[in-house]
Amino acid sequence: MATIELRDVTKDFGGVQVIHGANLSVQDNEFVVFVGPSGCGKSTLLRLLSGLEELSSGEIYIDGERIDHLPPARRGLAMVFQSYALYPHMNVLQNMSYALKVAKKSKQEIEEKVHAAAEILQLTELLDRKPKALSGGQRQRVAIGRAIVRDPSVFLFDEPLSNLDAKLRVQMRLELTNLHKQLQSTMIYVTHDQVEAMTMADKIVVMRAGNIEQVGPPLELFNKPANKFVAGFIGSPAMNFFHGQVVGVNNATYEVKLENGAQFTFTAQNSNLAEGDEVDLGVRPEDLQPGTGGHGTMAGTATAVERLGAQTYVYLRSPIEESMIIHHAGDLDVQSGEQIDVSFDLKSCHLFGPDEQRIEFEG
Amino acid sequence: MKSIRKIASMAVLGVATFAYAGTALAQTELDFWSWRQEDVKAYNEIIAAFEEQNPDIKVTFTAHEATSYNTILTTALAGGAGPDIMHTRSYGSLEAIAAPGYLEPLDGQIDLSALSADELLGTTLRADGHVYAVPFASQTIVVFYNKDLFEEHDVALPETWDEFLAASQKFKDAGVIPLANGLADAWTMEIMSGAFLPNFYGKDFFGEVTSGATDFEDERFVNALEKFSTLKEFMPQGYEGVDYATMKQLFNVGQAAMFVGGSFDIPTFVNAGVNFDIMPGPAAEAGGPRMVATWLDGGYGVNAASENKEAALKFIQFTATQPFAQMLTDKLANVPAVDGAEISDPMLAKVSAMHEEATPYIMLVAFRFNTPTGSTLLQNGLQELFTGKKSAEEVAADISEGIKSAE
Amino acid sequence: MAQLTKSIKTPFDNAVVRRRQMRKLWLAFLLFPAMAILLTFVFLPMASAIWYSVYEWDGLVRGEFIGLGNFQEVLFDPRNNKFLINAFFNNVKVFIALMVFQNGLALILALFLAREPKGYRFYQIAFFLPVILSTVIIGFQWKLFLNPIFGLVNTLLRNVGLGDWAVPWLGLPETALGAMILVNAWHWVGFPTLVFLAAIHRIPKDLIEAARLDGASEWMIARDIIWPLMAPAVTIIVVLTFIGSFNWFEIPYIMGGLEGSPSYSTDMLGLLFYRTAFGSVSAGNSDFGTGSALAVLIFIFIFTFSTIATRYLTSREVELS
Repeated sequence: MATIELRDVTKDFGGVQVIHGANLSVQDNEFVVFVGPSGCGKSTLLRLLSGLEELSSGEIYIDGERIDHLPPARRGLAMVFQSYALYPHMNVLQNMSYALKVAKKSKQEIEEKVHAAAEILQLTELLDRKPKALSGGQRQRVAIGRAIVRDPSVFLFDEPLSNLDAKLRVQMRLELTNLHKQLQSTMIYVTHDQVEAMTMADKIVVMRAGNIEQVGPPLELFNKPANKFVAGFIGSPAMNFFHGQVVGVNNATYEVKLENGAQFTFTAQNSNLAEGDEVDLGVRPEDLQPGTGGHGTMAGTATAVERLGAQTYVYLRSPIEESMIIHHAGDLDVQSGEQIDVSFDLKSCHLFGPDEQRIEFEG
Repeated sequence: MKSIRKIASMAVLGVATFAYAGTALAQTELDFWSWRQEDVKAYNEIIAAFEEQNPDIKVTFTAHEATSYNTILTTALAGGAGPDIMHTRSYGSLEAIAAPGYLEPLDGQIDLSALSADELLGTTLRADGHVYAVPFASQTIVVFYNKDLFEEHDVALPETWDEFLAASQKFKDAGVIPLANGLADAWTMEIMSGAFLPNFYGKDFFGEVTSGATDFEDERFVNALEKFSTLKEFMPQGYEGVDYATMKQLFNVGQAAMFVGGSFDIPTFVNAGVNFDIMPGPAAEAGGPRMVATWLDGGYGVNAASENKEAALKFIQFTATQPFAQMLTDKLANVPAVDGAEISDPMLAKVSAMHEEATPYIMLVAFRFNTPTGSTLLQNGLQELFTGKKSAEEVAADISEGIKSAE
Repeated sequence: MAQLTKSIKTPFDNAVVRRRQMRKLWLAFLLFPAMAILLTFVFLPMASAIWYSVYEWDGLVRGEFIGLGNFQEVLFDPRNNKFLINAFFNNVKVFIALMVFQNGLALILALFLAREPKGYRFYQIAFFLPVILSTVIIGFQWKLFLNPIFGLVNTLLRNVGLGDWAVPWLGLPETALGAMILVNAWHWVGFPTLVFLAAIHRIPKDLIEAARLDGASEWMIARDIIWPLMAPAVTIIVVLTFIGSFNWFEIPYIMGGLEGSPSYSTDMLGLLFYRTAFGSVSAGNSDFGTGSALAVLIFIFIFTFSTIATRYLTSREVELS
């Protein structure tokens, strides 16, 4: 039940800036995921929000109130750590009630809240166990429980699932999504796993090297990546890129020749491309079709083929040593070593200019 | 060619020299242990004199740390090792090594005629009556005083107790510490008591208390303690924490007018260049005796297990002769136990003259044979008396009870 | 069947067996020097102390076997046991005082250093530096500092107008032991500080941050999170302090002498043992029998209590993660 607003937030560590002026607003009850490769600053941004790190400059507001000068506990948020950070000398009950005890809540209130949270998380049976005697998933739930009992307006999750095995991860993903629905509160979730981001988020924040690259709902990011980095980061397998050059300009019509020989024209109203500019054509694996046709055709030799029945992945190498992946729905009878043609339709392609920014165009 | 021959001849010469040194080393070697680290140089000179007369004997003098000397020596002796010749303590401490048979009995083997019976008592084992060491020097407790300070403040030399208190008061009023003595090293308190207690408890007390005719709760002893304890107001501020080194320092630099110590302190003050003299403790009343407490410091003994007993006895015989005694007083400023030495040092001559009226240093001479020793009891009692923890009666009762329990 | 087993066993198993034997030999070889040193310098002296303690001794000469006679003398003879009781309670005082002042201060310093304040590396070295100095040097140095007339401590006190406080610290029965304990604390405080600091550094940062987010104050974090989680370090320090307190010797020996001057107020079991076994210039003659009995009793006491304490303290330790 809270909105969050970040304004020009920066962070230096010993003179090195790691967050370069982040601006972000989060709506009430939104599930926001910070995603990016490791070292991109997503965890730092979370810690700045939590108060565990101090801002170098900028402002943070929760519900319109500036909170960046407040100590962590008074910001009304709770955090779940990657390591769970359960107190090893306390049992589950004590772990979950510690914050309430510190806040000098009455015994009755503590009991009620802890039991309610334990109920939600199916921890009632485990209340007198020490963390050591719990499985990874159970520890994860206790860590969440510890956050829930505090009734925070914002939940912060720092890569909470990365220590779990693949099966548990899928299960916890669902549980967290359900929890979000149940608790109706704002959640900020940090992960490097774009699948988690795509499946859980109302809004994804893609970060790279201390900058926010794009903010938006998962499918918007998928369909309209703002730049080459987001395009390559969101989606699995990753988008194929083909390098080329503008060879002809006529009003708003441009002619591009790719290095692999394919050539096409498009119109773009608001583009200032000039002849000789380097561009990248991005084609998602599922948008590359076997065979000739479309707006361009390329040749390649299959280096590996994964035939899964319902879908087929073909890994290709073009004559100029570009690699590309085709994702074909259904079976495709291609043998490794075989040379095939692939074609693309400009309507489903993405184009990035010399500055790697997206260019809106019509084929 | 020439040079090779030269080298060869040098080599031959070298070997010959080495061989010669080898024969020279084939003399009897004696180890001599002591606690007198200050005296190493003088002893080496004395030993050189002995070796000149006895070229077949070589004596090596080793001085150990004084406070742990007993432990080092007894441990070595118990382990079947130890030196051929050793400095022994006297009285009770001598018994500790003589009784188990670690020392060679000397009477009959060497001539002890230059020593008085009194002095030999300190190195005689009470159980068998044999003499186990040649006494080397006696120590005497005296009052050192700074002549310059006495002159500067126009203080007359005190002869009686009342004069002593008056003189002390005069120094105190003038901002001079009357007495340098302190409590921190308990043994210095026992020494200090030796200058004052005997003149209060009198000539007969020693004989009576050692024979058992009286004990330490005797009125004379209690009274002596009582009087003695009034001196604390003339000791340095913080005297409870003043140790031996600080005491000497205070007297050396002229901050304190008097220092009660042993004759063994004389060289220290001579070396420090203090313009001082010595006097006996004050008489209890005008015309009363001014006795000085004396004791035999120790002796020279022979290890019964020594393989060079003959040579060792030869050296020990040397320590019982007049020439040795002369060197002892000349080089080490001691009052030698052996008769016949001419005491050249005026200070020592004075000490020797004070022996006219001497009394045994009571606890060391008579009550250091059993546990707890009289010295321990007196030292602890004096600390309690001077810190005001106990009264003279209580201290006397403790000492008396302790001595009785030790018998 | 037998043949089958046999055929299965070779040759792989033989190689395993041989390797195991080699391993045992190798272990024995590596352990030998340590065992030899332990045997010569720990077990042998201990055994000989027990051996000595059951004989009558006349000075240095062993007399007849008297069983527990020496123990009886040490424990029940009023001439001895009043010293034993006095020394024992002095050791107890030392233990309590060191726990409170030395280790308490160490804990505060460790908590302070763990926050890595500006220049904390300097402080860390400064606090630890005295630990590497020799006890003998420290004893003599502080004896000089505490000299009532020339000493630094009283000179400072007089200079800041606290002349009334400038008492002869080592000369008064009321202050001597306290002064020595403070000197010991000054000497050793760096050691528990370092151990505590290492223990605090071992606690994952996340736990502290989680507590901070839970709203705990610095004091609550120290009390509720850091303190319980540094239990293993506390065990080590408590047991080492206990052993050190009851074996305390060098500082009281150098600063108060063999008789625990003044008036036995700084007497310790170690000093009493030394006096009894080896004698001293004024305290009398050596008695290996009662000395050894005393040594055996001290050993049994320390061993028993440190074992019980270790058991108890270990039971409250928690494994991290």
